[in-house]
Amino acid sequence: MMPLRGGANRRLSFRAMWGWATAAALGALGAWGCARIFVGYPPPSGSPQALRRRELATLAAVAEALFPPGGEIPPSGSDAGIAAYVDRLVAASQPRQRQLMRALFFLIEHGTLAFPAPGGLSGLRRFSGLDASQREAVLDAWQHSGWFVRRLVFTSLRALCTLGYFADPTVLRRLRLAPYAIDTPVCEADLRYPRIGAAASSIPYTADDLTPPSDGAPIDLDGPWMAGFAEDAD
Amino acid sequence: MSEGDLRVFAGYDRDFTEEADAVVVGSGPGGAIVAGELTRAGYRVVLVEEGPPFTPGDYEVDGGLSMARTLREGGLRTTVGTVMPTMQAVALGGGSLVNSAICNRAPEFVLDRWCEDFDLSDTHLSDLDPHYDAVAETIGISPTPEAVQGRRNLLFRDGCDALGFSSEPIARNVRGCRGSGECFTGCRSRAKQSMDITTVPAALRGGATVLTSARVEAVETSGDRAIGVMGRIVAPFTGRPSHRFRVRARAVVLAAGCMATPVLLQKSGGIANRSGQVGRNLQFHPGVGVMGIFPDRVEPQFGATQGYQSREFLEAGFKLETLWAPPALLAVRLPGSGLDLKRRLADVPYSAVWDAIASCDRSLGRVEARRSGFDPKITWRLNPDDTPILAEAVYRLAEIFFAAGARSVLCGVHGFPDEIHTLEEAEILRRRTLRPSDLVLGGNHAFCTTRMHGDPTRGVVDELGRCHDLENLWIADSGVFPRCPSVNPMWTIMALARRTALALAERL
Ligand SMILES: Cc1cc2nc3c(=O)[nH]c(=O)nc-3n(C[C@H](O)[C@H](O)[C@H](O)COP(=O)(O)OP(=O)(O)OC[C@H]3O[C@@H](n4cnc5c(N)ncnc54)[C@H](O)[C@@H]3O)c2cc1C
Ligand code: SF4
Repeated sequence: MMPLRGGANRRLSFRAMWGWATAAALGALGAWGCARIFVGYPPPSGSPQALRRRELATLAAVAEALFPPGGEIPPSGSDAGIAAYVDRLVAASQPRQRQLMRALFFLIEHGTLAFPAPGGLSGLRRFSGLDASQREAVLDAWQHSGWFVRRLVFTSLRALCTLGYFADPTVLRRLRLAPYAIDTPVCEADLRYPRIGAAASSIPYTADDLTPPSDGAPIDLDGPWMAGFAEDAD
Repeated sequence: MSEGDLRVFAGYDRDFTEEADAVVVGSGPGGAIVAGELTRAGYRVVLVEEGPPFTPGDYEVDGGLSMARTLREGGLRTTVGTVMPTMQAVALGGGSLVNSAICNRAPEFVLDRWCEDFDLSDTHLSDLDPHYDAVAETIGISPTPEAVQGRRNLLFRDGCDALGFSSEPIARNVRGCRGSGECFTGCRSRAKQSMDITTVPAALRGGATVLTSARVEAVETSGDRAIGVMGRIVAPFTGRPSHRFRVRARAVVLAAGCMATPVLLQKSGGIANRSGQVGRNLQFHPGVGVMGIFPDRVEPQFGATQGYQSREFLEAGFKLETLWAPPALLAVRLPGSGLDLKRRLADVPYSAVWDAIASCDRSLGRVEARRSGFDPKITWRLNPDDTPILAEAVYRLAEIFFAAGARSVLCGVHGFPDEIHTLEEAEILRRRTLRPSDLVLGGNHAFCTTRMHGDPTRGVVDELGRCHDLENLWIADSGVFPRCPSVNPMWTIMALARRTALALAERL
């Protein structure tokens, strides 16, 4: 084999060093990225059905920023159990929608790299690691962005959290918007359809159970709430 | 005729084949009417529905969870191009399970233009009236009584009266409505006469077989004839496929809805598409909602879900109506965050929401099958020339709110104040050119993807709903509309479907 000339040798070792340095930098970046994405999230309080602990942390942070304690409706986003609700919703959704929702959480959590919160370097932390005023500023920037897609991300996330907030019986009762108890008549269809997932043999009704149809009496606004929304259900 | 048979997911344990005179795909307003009429005419009918039957015990009063269970793509389906949510149900009864039961005959001027522009001769109002009347009798269409209007609906009437705009109680397919405002999550009073509790049981009484949780995946053809359909049983909510089925029939009626029917045709090898129009011409009635806050409590949770409407501006391109939905779904449109958002949520009991649906027939789109799965790719663009119609509709709603005594109005238009307190502030809507993305739109009325046209090179079906290319393949959903109808479509879908069923019954 021909010995390499000095210049070529130097080029090779420079290239090798450059290669190593790049690999090391990429490795470090990858490790930092993984740590940013995966490490340091608190364990969830309950047993989530679909969401990972990092997604629950993002949601809890967003929920608390959107619905802080106090104000005209006392429960905060955490009190209302928004993260747990969204977890149920994600679990009930189909794979493509789950992915979309997950992408939303990821964008907000790590979007601070592209759109940092105020506060210098600390504004680059992931969303759930920001302090309350920084979170508020970040959400405000997404909400009022001139860029439609950013506004859409914000409104979608706020929509999910608002659904969760309004699923809380305390919030609904406070606003007097809880669903009312309604006596559901038994009609012909009820003799034919079982509950979803159950066998036809489980239909509990026979023709003897048919009741008169609704008489159109207006709902009583002072009437009782539906089971699960009444005070004693808390 | 002996009693029919309804099969549910838990009842399937093997692959199977059925024989019928006619197979009807989809149990929404279109399909259920066809199944009912054909059974009544004495034919053996198999009605195939991908969704399950919902009993009151299956309803979720929570808006988000209800959407995840009753709607395609969990209620998160949107168009691409101009991003707009669009909802289609997957349930026995189709859209009638979740809709507000609004029933309007298509206006005479709309049907006259359909006839003129699409080479149709028998689709004038006078041609459809007998079908509208027959449907009204079956599903109990009548004006919403004052006792269950609630203040939210009556304020709209008052605002219209003050301005001299015409308005009227909405006619709905309900019997004994109690004003619970829950039409979207399922009527616990069993008052809404959705297809699952009216026409489907009637078809069963007449001897029809109803396969639920059964997704048709292709129409089978031989030469220029359809010979049946094939598909898979799918688990409720997850859509996981299991057993295979086939239905052999002398006639096939597709009523899977404006989004699903073109996908089925495309997935069946591109049949019925010599005109090249399958999946094209998609139109919506894009809608905008406006919230008004009143000085005293409105108690908006009480009242027929949508009880009042105004057709004053129909010819200008929009129809105005009142609206209610689970509070959570209305609240998602409120602006702000933090304590400001909480303040706005606390205003909900003092609020009413009214909406406009617009006739934007310059705004077109298309529905395409994806390589895998049955959820379509829906592309649609709001034409900039249609944007002023929606801006004017928002302005008119604000005007009615202020005339009815609202203290503030939330227009929901980007780049416009979140909350306005005088009508003068709304004037800007008329002066400024809005971009489509400035509007928060929703489009639950969708049409035209298999449109009727007298000329076989320009439409998929003829006036009666029969495919130009395959003589025993019929379509009976909102896809056959040649153009948007300017009013809520369900009653017209059913009237056209009845005409289709009678024509098919004559030829079977
Ligand atoms: C929230 C909401 C409120 C509305 N309110 C009103 C209103 O008040 N008044 C009004 O006029 N209109 C209203 N609409 C619109 C109206 O409900 C629809 O236009 C109407 O339901 C369309 O009827 P259709 O028969 O064309 O299709 P659909 O109602 O969509 O029925 C199609 C059926 O086919 C089934 N299907 C689809 N693909 C397959 C397959 N491959 N195999 C088997 N089955 C399949 C679907 O699951 C569905 O049940 C509303 C819509 C929504 C979403
Ligand atoms: S408003 Fe309530 S009672 Fe009336 S039809 Fe709708 S859900 Fe039923």
